Amino acid sequence: MLHVNNYSSSILHDISLDITQNTIILGANGSGKSTLAKVIVGIIPNNNVQIMGKTHEQLSAKEKIQYINYIPSKLEVFDEYMSVQEFLELSFIQTPTHTVKELAKLFGLSSLLEHNCQTLSSGESQLLLMASSLAHNAAITILDEPTSNLDQKKTKRVFDILNSHNYLKHKIVITHDLNFAFKLGFDIVFIKKGKIAFHGSSGEFFEPITMEKFFGKSVKIVENFVVSNL
Amino acid sequence: MKKSIYSLSIIAMIIAPFIGDFVINYANIFNEFSQDYMVFWDLRLPRVFLAFFCGAVLSLSGLVFQTIFKNALITPYTLGVASGSTLFTALFIIFLPSYVYVLGGFLGAFFTILLLFFISNRINKNSILAQTNSFLLVGIALSFFYSACLMLLFTVSNFEENYSIVRYTLGSLDIVGFNYVFPVAVVSLLLLRFVYAYKHEITLMLTSNENAFLKGVEVKKVNFILLLAVSFCVGVCISFTGPIGFIGLVVPHIVKIIYKKSAYKLFWPVFFFGGVFLVVCDFISRNLIESSTLPIGVVTAFIGAPFFIYLIVRRSYK
Repeated sequence: MLHVNNYSSSILHDISLDITQNTIILGANGSGKSTLAKVIVGIIPNNNVQIMGKTHEQLSAKEKIQYINYIPSKLEVFDEYMSVQEFLELSFIQTPTHTVKELAKLFGLSSLLEHNCQTLSSGESQLLLMASSLAHNAAITILDEPTSNLDQKKTKRVFDILNSHNYLKHKIVITHDLNFAFKLGFDIVFIKKGKIAFHGSSGEFFEPITMEKFFGKSVKIVENFVVSNL
Repeated sequence: MKKSIYSLSIIAMIIAPFIGDFVINYANIFNEFSQDYMVFWDLRLPRVFLAFFCGAVLSLSGLVFQTIFKNALITPYTLGVASGSTLFTALFIIFLPSYVYVLGGFLGAFFTILLLFFISNRINKNSILAQTNSFLLVGIALSFFYSACLMLLFTVSNFEENYSIVRYTLGSLDIVGFNYVFPVAVVSLLLLRFVYAYKHEITLMLTSNENAFLKGVEVKKVNFILLLAVSFCVGVCISFTGPIGFIGLVVPHIVKIIYKKSAYKLFWPVFFFGGVFLVVCDFISRNLIESSTLPIGVVTAFIGAPFFIYLIVRRSYK
């Protein structure tokens, strides 16, 4: 599905990855998670990534947008009068599986459709980005910290959507919320200082020994929740 | 509100050719051998058309540049296009026979954009998305460089040449007959058509370059095509009228404030009201002082500069 072959830059070092199913990328701030995402989607040009067997150069523009999409952690809209509705409409790349109204309702954005994107709060912006990922509906969607600005309830909603098979085909979720990662149970890629320190199943990663190796004694699994001792 | 602005604009455009220093006797307007006929058909009417199409091109190009550079304060002029054309015209005035100096403005504008693009491509080697800030900085540096060259030319040229250069930099809509109107009209309609052809790409680029890229827009390529096309059209206009500033900056903002709509829905209004704005400015420049015409650049800047400052102040209160 997705293959990174020995990619190196000033931030990332010797990255080789083979992603075949839903995956979570974990790592500390500045470890290179988002950079890796940008390499994979081709915002940072390279010849090391293969998506469905093709490098970025070999992919046509049409294939590329069908295969892969990246949802940044922050919504960026230059035009001050672009509305939520317009932004969502722009996110459809093929015959839509959901209507704008359905998507807005799913994320509690119905009353904001006429509002301008620039006036949204950071949480609302994040939900709009989530909705746009469902509108785009690429084969692989990389979501960069999709819950970083959300309250408990909205985090749960995003969790349910990512956890369900009804939305988004393949998901790569970047996060540093360990509990969120634990509960999703996707494969884990752990990045430390620009290198891949771990790549394996969720079960292996959340073994007490592995946890202690990466996080010391500060993180524990208590009654099936990952908690960190502050 | 929009309807009344539209009707006012159309009325202003219809009145414009009829009022001026020379009082036309309308009985003679279709009499080919009268002076009234000549003033109306050879001077006034072509002038209004030229003003309309130039204003339209300049303001639409401002809108496109603001989209490409994701910066509300950019026009082809802030990037050194105007100083480029002034410098080249000055060079032509001094070193070549006078009749080819129309070419100078065009070459200057075009050369500047190509140079800008060449430099920015070297800066942006490692990104799929153009670093528009570096482009802007290079443009500003270039304009200073051009001004220095222009100063140098002033010191080596004679008084008569000095005067021609200064007159050119102020901009002028003085023309006789429709010969100059046609190329500008054709170019402006082509620009409008062209911008509509790229509507989808421009709309996506109004969010962010990254988002446009992820939705399949080849951002760098589209940027280059748009810049080249817009600069070509601006170059043609400048070569006939000289650099007329502030329209590209002011009109898109006024139209946005009135319509409160996303820029991709405003191509036509920006085009139309840009034209009207220059027609009205020209009208003022012809009629404010009796027996003389104010340089058009003076009038647009007189209205444009205070408005520009007002916009900046207003923005900081948001």
